[in-house]
Amino acid sequence: MSDTESPSEASAHEHHEHHHDVEGPGYATPQAAVEQSEREKVAYVMSLYVGTDVDAPDFLAVVDVDPESDTYAEVIDRVEMPNVGDELHHFGWNACSSSCHVEGLERRHLIVPGNRSSRLHVVDTKNRENPEMVKTIEPEEVHDHDLSAPHTVHCIPDGEILVSMLGDADGDLPGGFLELNDDFEVVGRWDAPGDIEKNYDFWYQPRQNVMVSSEWAAPKVYQPGFDMADVEAGNYGHQLHFWDWENREVVQTVDLGEEGMIPLEVRFLHTPESTHGFVNAALSSNIFHFWEDRESGEYRAEKVVDFEAREHPDWDMPVPALPTDILLSMDDRYLFGGNWLHGELYMYDVSDPKNPRRADTLSVGGLFGDVQELGGRDIVGGPQMIQLSLDGERLYWTTSLYSTWDNTFFPEEAEKGSVMLKADVNPRKGTMTLDEEFMVDFGEMPNGPARAHEMRWPDGDCTSDVWQ
Amino acid sequence: MTEYEVELVWEGAEKADREANIATREDETVLEAAERADLGLPFGCRIGHCGSCTGRLLTGDLEHARRPLALKDRHLDDGYVLLCIAEPRADCRIRVGVDVQRELVSNPWK
Repeated sequence: MSDTESPSEASAHEHHEHHHDVEGPGYATPQAAVEQSEREKVAYVMSLYVGTDVDAPDFLAVVDVDPESDTYAEVIDRVEMPNVGDELHHFGWNACSSSCHVEGLERRHLIVPGNRSSRLHVVDTKNRENPEMVKTIEPEEVHDHDLSAPHTVHCIPDGEILVSMLGDADGDLPGGFLELNDDFEVVGRWDAPGDIEKNYDFWYQPRQNVMVSSEWAAPKVYQPGFDMADVEAGNYGHQLHFWDWENREVVQTVDLGEEGMIPLEVRFLHTPESTHGFVNAALSSNIFHFWEDRESGEYRAEKVVDFEAREHPDWDMPVPALPTDILLSMDDRYLFGGNWLHGELYMYDVSDPKNPRRADTLSVGGLFGDVQELGGRDIVGGPQMIQLSLDGERLYWTTSLYSTWDNTFFPEEAEKGSVMLKADVNPRKGTMTLDEEFMVDFGEMPNGPARAHEMRWPDGDCTSDVWQ
Repeated sequence: MTEYEVELVWEGAEKADREANIATREDETVLEAAERADLGLPFGCRIGHCGSCTGRLLTGDLEHARRPLALKDRHLDDGYVLLCIAEPRADCRIRVGVDVQRELVSNPWK
């Protein structure tokens, strides 16, 4: 039974009941998600107008990803935000597999933050194809806790929600974490102010009593755009913070150094037994593996993938790869990611996490991609946010990073809009194949060309679900 | 009540130039006055850290009501202003629109 179906609707799906050994949302184990999930039929996609000439609110796009449908690969609904200028970026579910023991809780509401506005929106997806905005938390209520610039949303067990916040009430440092309850009310600040300075993404592994958080920069630094003077001034992050999950305090900070500049997406392996994970250092174009050393009980981090800069005839300096997103397949077998500037998707076998093995790559979009056009339009920008089907067989991606950064590196994206593309993955062979039939053109939206960022599926995805 | 005349100028490479005149009331920001006149100017945080509303003061005088954190000294020296927190202190002429924000930074590798 899917999370948002009422019991009466579920009667039509009773053939699923024998699989359903959890009382709440999600799946009993990561492998159960692989086996029991149905193919994704819609995708929710953050879509935005910030930094373009279009004077319209950002929106949550509902994309039809069901090949049996007449509207396959089209945006079939748009949930507009009540204000302009939010910069929708990352978003998350009210509940995931970490609450699979909580009877009656549903994976149904999306928490959709505005990264510039500090406004939080709650969208009800009971009707999956036509979700509905049900609540807005205004910026002033967020600023009251001396926080701004919401980023990653993870539900935490028992229906509460944690949001990483990149700045204080002025858009300066320190950032922190904001906690919401299961009625989507602000509970308050989750962490002790000043325990960290910079913040970005986080992931928690409750069985190991650990949370890890990464670092971008203060909102006042990254929001106006990427300025090398800020790198030289030390305004960009290069550390990972390991927290005592129960006690909500940082117990260890690991400095990744020069090779670990701007560590972004932190992904623990899905299996709750593991202390291994990965993070992409975007500016240094490296991927780090981190793990708990069993003897000392301390976390360590080591660079395991290094992407070389490439010469481009129109650029004065070698172009860095800029790996801006990574994820782990639900079976923890593969790490996927994208090099946004170069225009490359990669798939690493991480069955030995200390020694990732490059399984396959796709050269598409960006500055060097072999494929620069699809469905009759230019692909502007390389692979950026990625999302994988729960069964690991379909990888989707969008092309916008952040409005001001897009405008510096791929300025045409403001006029042409983003695209959402797809590759078919063979997890047995370790291969990816570009699906040339699939392209969602965000250049063709009613209010004008839009950017597209993070994607999620209604039944959970590889970047949402955590197990206790 | 002190009112100042503010001329807003859109100068984009790919679109026709456009101008509009608005008047600001006492302690009113340029963005608030533009909204009162139903003119869409870009904005984001509304408290001076994100830079979405960046304009460039061509003539006149204005004060930022709080610290313009999105702008560095070099931007302030060049006349860039944050319209969400900028209150005129004289009649002003200001270049506006998303293109102004894009001038704050450039690609360091190109």
